[in-house]
Amino acid sequence: MLKNIGGINYDCYPLTPAQLLNLALIKSGSTHEVENIGAGQYLQMDLNIAALREALNRAVERCESMRLRLWKDPETGELWQYVVPYQNEYFEYYDFSHWKEEKVTEVLNKWTSQPFDTFGGKLSRIVIVTLPDGFNGFYYNVHHACMDSSSVIAFTRDVIEIYCSLLYDMPYPKPMSSYIESVKKDLTYEGSKKQKKDEEYWHKQFELPEPMYTDYTGIGRLMWLRQKNNDPEQRWGLLESSDGKGNTITYELSVASTEKIMNFAQEYALPVSVIILHAIRTVLSKFNNNETDIIIRDLVSRRSTLNNKKCGGVRMHCFPLRTIMPLDTTVLDSMRLIKKVQDELFIHAEYPPLKCLGELCETYGAPPGSTYTSVDFTYQPGTLATIGEALKGIPFKSWWYSNGKQPQPMYITAMHRPNDGGLNFYFGYQTACATPEEIEFLYYFTGRILFRSIENPQKTLKEIIDMT
Amino acid sequence: MFDKLKELICQYVEVDPDTITKDSRFIEDLGFNSYDIMCMLGDAESEFDITIEEEEIMKCKTVGDLLDYFGGQENG
Repeated sequence: MLKNIGGINYDCYPLTPAQLLNLALIKSGSTHEVENIGAGQYLQMDLNIAALREALNRAVERCESMRLRLWKDPETGELWQYVVPYQNEYFEYYDFSHWKEEKVTEVLNKWTSQPFDTFGGKLSRIVIVTLPDGFNGFYYNVHHACMDSSSVIAFTRDVIEIYCSLLYDMPYPKPMSSYIESVKKDLTYEGSKKQKKDEEYWHKQFELPEPMYTDYTGIGRLMWLRQKNNDPEQRWGLLESSDGKGNTITYELSVASTEKIMNFAQEYALPVSVIILHAIRTVLSKFNNNETDIIIRDLVSRRSTLNNKKCGGVRMHCFPLRTIMPLDTTVLDSMRLIKKVQDELFIHAEYPPLKCLGELCETYGAPPGSTYTSVDFTYQPGTLATIGEALKGIPFKSWWYSNGKQPQPMYITAMHRPNDGGLNFYFGYQTACATPEEIEFLYYFTGRILFRSIENPQKTLKEIIDMT
Repeated sequence: MFDKLKELICQYVEVDPDTITKDSRFIEDLGFNSYDIMCMLGDAESEFDITIEEEEIMKCKTVGDLLDYFGGQENG
């Protein structure tokens, strides 16, 4: 629909369910910082700054969602999105070479926590950066309604491939696909046959008895809530702490341990995400009196077609992955059941996630701001960096920066490191709800359960819990 | 139908359509992941105007399995 914004006519489109999910975090997080995603990509070599500026400009030109704006109609309050034409930009350069690395990270975290004017202007910022120890590259910060981690990875790769093609006679990368076309396709879902089928599936899930909130620190929080609300039967927990402040702790799994997981995945034809979900599920059971009914919120990237992989934007949906299994279930059967439920969830992942999560709580009479899960999980098979043949052998590092906010109790991301393929686990948590020691405890037991499970796939959940 | 299915597969993975056979396994040979398969099968439903039962979707490991399933649906 054509809209006149600031005296210029733009083709505007309604926001997608994935964008609305992100904007809902503003409401629940009460501040805008939570909407930012910050990343950096650095190489330990002198970079040609002019060529990097050129590569960044060309990448922005090729990526519609990096030129996305949001607009709130002042008369109707409706939310719209549109893409502004590309304009050449001068990206600033910051030299932090004489700084301490921790201090630089602190500054970049701070930049990542600076809010954008969501409905009034540009929603990204890119700067060229020199880090200590001879690392050079670029940092960028973008509003989460424009990009998600998959599109950040795609954009970063595009910048590096363009840079290499400018300087090293490498082939110019294939064009990105259109973000707006993906939005148009998403918007045809409403009222479709597919939506009806998905709705039937999700409503059927809500016919089960009320789920049980299982906190990653144990039963204490639910007990406290029951006491506070004078309701000994209460089964829901709270989505967010009062201040929403968050921190992320990163744990690096060794290459050898990662290989054990990958080999197990291959041997039993199971996705890596399922193996990790099994470990998280079992640890939640262990910490909550061996609870047999567990929900983890599973994030779905929704980037299956080649076009969707390269269209930028935000496409991530999340849904409750609920499994009910007795303690005498074997590890393999546990993983197979998780895979079955995850496959079903994938089939019905176009359903608007806010609607699904809202309906889940409404069905059981849980109030707004409540939840049945303390853990959101995503497995990212891609890595932030790819440095191409021309730069092979050059040390590099990629970094995700914290925006200082955490809208859900715990967000675990498992992602392969670009340099050696080992798995990194990012534990994003609300600082008001847990201490770093409690997060360490959670990681320790998740790891123990994971490896005891893959070493003993025929053992039961009870045996694995008792072994750890 | 095989050619149409090949076209659909090529929207999801970067493979030469001529290399796709009925024995090609979605994950091991064509590079699909679980999510890609589920989405591709959802598109196949619309493309071929066929309803795929969820239990059956999960049994389809090869291109041939899927063609057989479609064949059965058409005959039924």
